[in-house]
This record gives sequence, C-alpha cells and structure tokens, in this order.
Amino acid sequence: MAGDVYSLEGFAVPSGIEELHLLLDHAGSDHPEVDPSDLMLFETAVVEIANNVVEHARPEGEVRWRFALHVRPGELEATLSDSGTPYLGDIGTAMPDELAERGRGMPLAHAILDEFHYSRVDSANHWRMVRRGSTGPAS
Amino acid sequence: MQIEQSQRNGVAVLTPTGRVNMVSAPKVKAAVDEAVAAGTPRVVIDLAQVEFIDSSGLGALVGGLKSARQADGDLRIAAAGDQVVTVLSLTNLDRILRPYASVEDAIDGW
Repeated sequence: MAGDVYSLEGFAVPSGIEELHLLLDHAGSDHPEVDPSDLMLFETAVVEIANNVVEHARPEGEVRWRFALHVRPGELEATLSDSGTPYLGDIGTAMPDELAERGRGMPLAHAILDEFHYSRVDSANHWRMVRRGSTGPAS
Repeated sequence: MQIEQSQRNGVAVLTPTGRVNMVSAPKVKAAVDEAVAAGTPRVVIDLAQVEFIDSSGLGALVGGLKSARQADGDLRIAAAGDQVVTVLSLTNLDRILRPYASVEDAIDGW
C-alpha cells in the first residue's frame, strides 16, 4: 500500500488548528498500525508549525493554508502551505531558557521531526514535516 | 475551555479540560493569577483531563509558576498524560515542573 492522504484547506486562524487536530485524529483511527506515540508527537509538531503560521499570518484572518498528511508504512509526512508573508524567523533556533514563556514551538517541532524544511516559493510559505519511526514496517 | 477550581488544605487545585493551546492557554494563566491574587499562591494544576498541550500551554504553566513563586508560593502539576510528559521532557521543562502522579501526591507534604 502506497499510503493514504488526508488534506484540508482553509484560513490560518485558531479554529483551523482544531480542524488539524480532528484530521490527525481521523487518520489515527483509520491507521491503528501507526504507533499512537508517534502520531501524538507528530501532531504536536504539526500544531506548533500551524500555530506559528497563525501567529504570523498577515493580514490577520485572511491568510489561507493547505495541509496534507501522508500516512505511509514507517513514515508520517505533512506539508503545510500558506499565503502569508515570508517567515523571517530561524527554524533552527535553540530551546529557550526554562523560565522563558515563549519560543519553544520551533525547537519542539525540531526535536520531534526527522525532517523539517521551510521554503518560500511562488509567494507562499511551504513547510514540510516528516517523522519516521515505529509506524509499521517500511516497505 | 472549562477550568474547575477547588481548594484542598490551603492549596488551589485547577483542573482544565481538553487541549491547552494558543486559545485556552491564557485562561489557564489567568486562573493561576486569580488563585494567587486570592491568597492561595500554592497551586496544583490537575492535568488528568488535558489530552494535549502545545508550547503556548507550556508558556502558561511557566508564567503561572513565576506568578506563584513571586507570591512565595509554587506551582505543581499532577496526573499529566503521555503527551504532556513527553513535551515537558523534550523542552527540558520537567526540570522546573516535575510531574506528580496525582493531585494527592502533589499536595502531600507541601
């Protein structure tokens, strides 16, 4: 089996994050062979990136995004594309001090993902996230 | 998000339900601040009903911890699920927010 694709489109707003949770839950229900811990961590990373897009979305409430999740044997891959302004932060930023109240999203995503890429192409931001692990035997 | 509040042995116990994320995290921080302002700077957050936390939620816990400590109290977390425990570990926050197994364990000997 080549794997399943789950996708959604909408606005990069907080309620869109809820839709991502539901989509990932749906994928997990369809794929009991995916280790729940892997999916849980992958969901955490996806939501951190999505949070980041929502927080930086300008004009606020008008940025659109498109999300796709690929469930393959041994691998979870997600792509998120948004129409917002270019992301100017550092996706490789280090984990902040323990008493910091912000700045953990990107380093947390980094800690979870095996591959994490950002690119700016055709006036859109493109985020690609991959986690490999005990998600069934690789073929 | 709903946050139940109760008191046990002079400790404020806050029980949020659902996901602690960018929408609900400010409510958690506000609930801690309220408890501290009401004169109970020892706060336990019961995470038994929390299925997911993101970095905004972690920020609220750290902010709450600082509020409590500034009032000579402290903030402890209890009954965290797998996702919360893993995220605390990945962010090194388990060094300052040690997860207690239960609310009773968190309050015991405080």
